Amino acid sequence: MHSDLLIILVIATALAFDFTNGFHDTANVVATSISTRALSPRVAVTLAAIMNFAGAFISLKVAATIAQGIVDAGEVTMPIVFAGLIGASVWNLATWYFGLPSSSSHALIGGVVGAMLAAHGTAAVQLGGLLGKVVIPGVMSPFLAFAVAGLAIVLTYRLVARLRPGPAGRGFRYGQILSGGMLALAHGTNDAQKTMGVMTLALIAHGDISEKHFAVPGWVVVGAATAIALGTYAGGWRIIRTMGTRIIKMDAAQGFTAQSAGAAVILAASHVGFPLSTTHVMAGGIMGAGAGKRVSAVRWGVAGNMAIAWVLTLPAAAAVGAATYAATSIFGSGVLGPAIIAALALGALLATMIRRARDLAAHPAGAKP
Amino acid sequence: MTVAAVIVDTHALLQVVYVSLIAGVGICIVYAGAVLGITRAQEHRRGDRPREAALYGALAAISLALCGWAVVTGIAVMATK
Repeated sequence: MHSDLLIILVIATALAFDFTNGFHDTANVVATSISTRALSPRVAVTLAAIMNFAGAFISLKVAATIAQGIVDAGEVTMPIVFAGLIGASVWNLATWYFGLPSSSSHALIGGVVGAMLAAHGTAAVQLGGLLGKVVIPGVMSPFLAFAVAGLAIVLTYRLVARLRPGPAGRGFRYGQILSGGMLALAHGTNDAQKTMGVMTLALIAHGDISEKHFAVPGWVVVGAATAIALGTYAGGWRIIRTMGTRIIKMDAAQGFTAQSAGAAVILAASHVGFPLSTTHVMAGGIMGAGAGKRVSAVRWGVAGNMAIAWVLTLPAAAAVGAATYAATSIFGSGVLGPAIIAALALGALLATMIRRARDLAAHPAGAKP
Repeated sequence: MTVAAVIVDTHALLQVVYVSLIAGVGICIVYAGAVLGITRAQEHRRGDRPREAALYGALAAISLALCGWAVVTGIAVMATK
């Protein structure tokens, strides 16, 4: 009975995290299109939500490899999954509150690693896997996207230099619809699958699925796809503003090259199995597209704040995951601990939302575009 | 260097670097070619220069076909990873 209630709580928390994932990462996909007026804000988030939903059905292979080579999957229990998800969701909401784009994928990995450390100590975490699969590619990816977008915008400007700005800008705005759609599709297939993998791990721990015959149930796929699509549709407007206007003031060609460079880096990395952050890649791409035109066009102070958030993501989500696991353990291994933590988290979320709504009422300029 | 090579799959990392550079820069150049082709073709058509218009139209058509191929390849990569 306790175990059944716990799995329901874990699944609900996973879906809530997936919603925050979509909400938080909408900016990666739509910010450039909105900023260059390729799409209106509402059309952009609707298109992104549809592509995210569709992307979740394209492949299930990433779901089967979640946390593989990073933590000892055989030691994962439902309270660990719950604590990891709380760690990731708390970090996502905190960075959203301050308008900072940060990685939902790294937050999820950090949360699970922190909970594993609290539960089993360092032996259950594979440091080599964490560095090789997450940290080193994560550090490299924004620089790579920066270089690709920077080189691409220099060559693109040379090709279209003698065209009248009106028709050329219109052409690149059409291109942004396509490149943005590809990004949203890649985001849906990558990030929704991570939540599917976590939910399936919990179902294995509960005994519903055999570890030897790993298969993601259909209702898990539909649930994760729906949650990330709804989160995307809700739109994290604070982060959209940061990505779309605060890093650089971009034109349509820059928006297109940033999105295309981002999609190329994400797809190349996914193909060889590195779980890159869409956020890191897109931010690097946007800065590269800006610097390719003029280095001083990039607001490096904003970029520095984002870099600090990126460095803090893994340890901060791990700390919250570990603290959550420790807090739930006080109440034993049953459902009581997670239920109390979930109730507290929900209360904190509502308080944050109410405070944010009051801020918006007081300062309407901070409202969505 | 040896420790880094043990921790991270350097071959895969290098593959990401060159594939990203080729694909990312390539698609931008190809699409810029399409924008150039369409815009110039329209200008030449309005200026009553059908030969130039046809040449730029062909550039646009080839560029758009390459973009379409890139999109299909991208979706195939997502589906097979």
